[in-house]
Amino acid sequence: MRMRGVGLVLAAVSSISVPAAAADGPDAIKARGTLIVGVKPDYRPFSYRDPQGALVGIEPDLAADIAKRLGVKLELVPVVSSNRIEFLQQGKVDLLIATISDKPERRRVIQAIDPPYYADFVNVLLSKKSGIKDWAELKGKPVCATAGAWYNKTIAQTYGAEPLAFDGSEKALFAMKQGNCVGYLYDQTFLQGRMLDDEWKTDFAMPLKGILETPWIMAVAKGNDALAQVVVDATKDWAKSGLVVDEEKKWGITPTAYTLGMHQQAGDAK
Amino acid sequence: MPRLSRSVPPVLCAILIVYAGSAHALGPPTPASALEIVIKWAPLLLGGFAFNILISLLAMALGTLAGFGLGLLLISEQVLARRAAWSVMQFFRNAPWLVLLFFAMFLIPFRITVMGVTIPLPDWVKAVIGFALPVMANVAEILRGAVASIPSTQWEAAESLALSRRQTVWLVILPQCFKRMLPSWMNLYALITMATVQASIVGVSEMLTITAQVHAAEGGRTDLFAPLYGFALLCFFLYCYPIDYMTARLERRFNVR
Amino acid sequence: MNAVADWFRTLYETTGINLTIFYDAYDFQRYAAGIGMTLFLSVASIVASVVIGAAGAAAQGSGSALVRQSVQAFVVVFRNTPPLVQIFFFYFGVGAVIPGIETSYGTREPLLGNVAWAVISLSLFAGAFNVEIFRSGIEAVPRTTLEAAEALGYTRLGAYRHIVLPLAVRVCLPALNNNLINLLKTTTLAYAIAVPETLYAAKQIWSESQNVLEMMLLLLATYMVLVGVFAGLMHQWERQMRIPGYHR
Repeated sequence: MRMRGVGLVLAAVSSISVPAAAADGPDAIKARGTLIVGVKPDYRPFSYRDPQGALVGIEPDLAADIAKRLGVKLELVPVVSSNRIEFLQQGKVDLLIATISDKPERRRVIQAIDPPYYADFVNVLLSKKSGIKDWAELKGKPVCATAGAWYNKTIAQTYGAEPLAFDGSEKALFAMKQGNCVGYLYDQTFLQGRMLDDEWKTDFAMPLKGILETPWIMAVAKGNDALAQVVVDATKDWAKSGLVVDEEKKWGITPTAYTLGMHQQAGDAK
Repeated sequence: MPRLSRSVPPVLCAILIVYAGSAHALGPPTPASALEIVIKWAPLLLGGFAFNILISLLAMALGTLAGFGLGLLLISEQVLARRAAWSVMQFFRNAPWLVLLFFAMFLIPFRITVMGVTIPLPDWVKAVIGFALPVMANVAEILRGAVASIPSTQWEAAESLALSRRQTVWLVILPQCFKRMLPSWMNLYALITMATVQASIVGVSEMLTITAQVHAAEGGRTDLFAPLYGFALLCFFLYCYPIDYMTARLERRFNVR
Repeated sequence: MNAVADWFRTLYETTGINLTIFYDAYDFQRYAAGIGMTLFLSVASIVASVVIGAAGAAAQGSGSALVRQSVQAFVVVFRNTPPLVQIFFFYFGVGAVIPGIETSYGTREPLLGNVAWAVISLSLFAGAFNVEIFRSGIEAVPRTTLEAAEALGYTRLGAYRHIVLPLAVRVCLPALNNNLINLLKTTTLAYAIAVPETLYAAKQIWSESQNVLEMMLLLLATYMVLVGVFAGLMHQWERQMRIPGYHR
């Protein structure tokens, strides 16, 4: 309920000082009978569309588990990096399980769920011909990227690469395929998902070591503590049961050190 | 745009179609020809195009209505109203359309509650509002220009007939303006229609979004890019060219000076 | 400068109003470079589109029907298709077809980058409008004026140069200005092919720092200034060029 078409300055002040609309807690969600979760539509194997158009993957499975805990139906809403936080703030979704890297700027505007449910690295998909073996070799070279990824800035600042950021992954991959950039900078998990395709496996590879390991957080709207508690409890249960590890195996990726570690710790604590 | 050769459109369509058809011949041997793929997806793509048309019509209707009100304020006798209307008009005329679209997308809530009734505002409705804003400012300017182009003798004649200002505006001035406004208004409509593809940048499922999805669904083949996007160009061309042509004819007929 | 940076950092910590570009050197440099790129795109495509317009209008007076028809086809196609699709079509479609350079590490690099393609497609789009504008300007000069000039002993070319064109330019100046101001606003479309202009820079910053509203307002203010200054200059020029007694 931010802008109401009044003076811009007024809006600027009010929307910053007034918190977002009161979010729906577990009771309201139960009353309505559906939990609305924002997930990615193009992030295989975490969340993507199957040939029938349904959203499937690890994150929809996790969302289904939480809906089951609340005893409600699940509704999935596709989100992209550049609109997901706005969707949550506006109350369009109750919960985000959408490959959100944990960043302090984000924690200021959303309610992050601790502990993080996953952690991922940043990597570059490179043409096999490029012969690049080290991050430093990216200096001064154009690298395709996705608009909204937090590390575009870090990579540019640290390694001097020149990111060309497109909306979504497809245009960036297409621009790389045409030689407009040397590689595609993105989450390692996503790139691994792409490498499951023969089309990409033949000409492209991921020769560099993943960097900037960052936890992924689920998020609810700021102040929605009751819902946050439900999701926190779920995350702790997953660590004990090893659900995320099982999901990784189910969807064809190697379990990461992070999820294995989480499962291990929870097991030790028991 | 007088002197427009009538033979151009059919020739052009032929060129575009031949180009779309031949593009695949240049590429490597492929399982399905580009033309077959375009035909296969044509219903979905045309559905997306219909959505563009819907957005453009609604934005134009909303923007014209609002712009008419703003235009009337622009010619109002009250200095304050005139100044305020002028600032609003300048603001929305000078802002790039894409920026206004982002503005509408991110800052309009996804639902509003008016007197206990919750009205959902899906993305495409926000896009309509985003496009209606520049339409409003441009319609206001077109109206102002048309009013200014009416000879001052008309005002004086109306005054000597003892018409009130309101009567003068509604009975004498505006009826003469509509004719003068029509070409610019149609031109604006064509521009807005072509701008609706920008809604794809903010995630509305219109034709360009669907074209990109179809391209991805077909494996992102390089040789499919030109035919698929060429098809989008062709659809817009076939819709906008007649409008452009009519505008030129009207302009010539009214000989707007 | 440090005091300014500290003030804006404190503003963020106390109120949440986050204007990174005033305290983060990298963001500031990026936003400034974005404005620079917008100016570059504008100037380059304004110049090129005026040249295209003039050349096209001249070619429309050509004796060859083929030349006239080709120019007309160009005008009609570029005026009546969405500029955003044109940009995509050029960058992703045409860019892949034209020959590229073999780079030292064995990959193919297209001859023209995204900035070049943005300038080309923006120029062609605006140029198509300019052809029409210039032509209508030339047509607005009465035939009798040309005849009078010839009667005074001007050659045909001389009459065009000294009589018809100066009049035509003045007649079409308002429409030309309008189109060029629109062109400045249309440069935002280059965002879609990752050209780091103002909108691109703003969007990068707001997605990293979660300050959508602040950046959006800054972005609007930036364009208000850019477009306002440019429109002001053009209108001043228009007034200076106005023909006394000729203006309707």
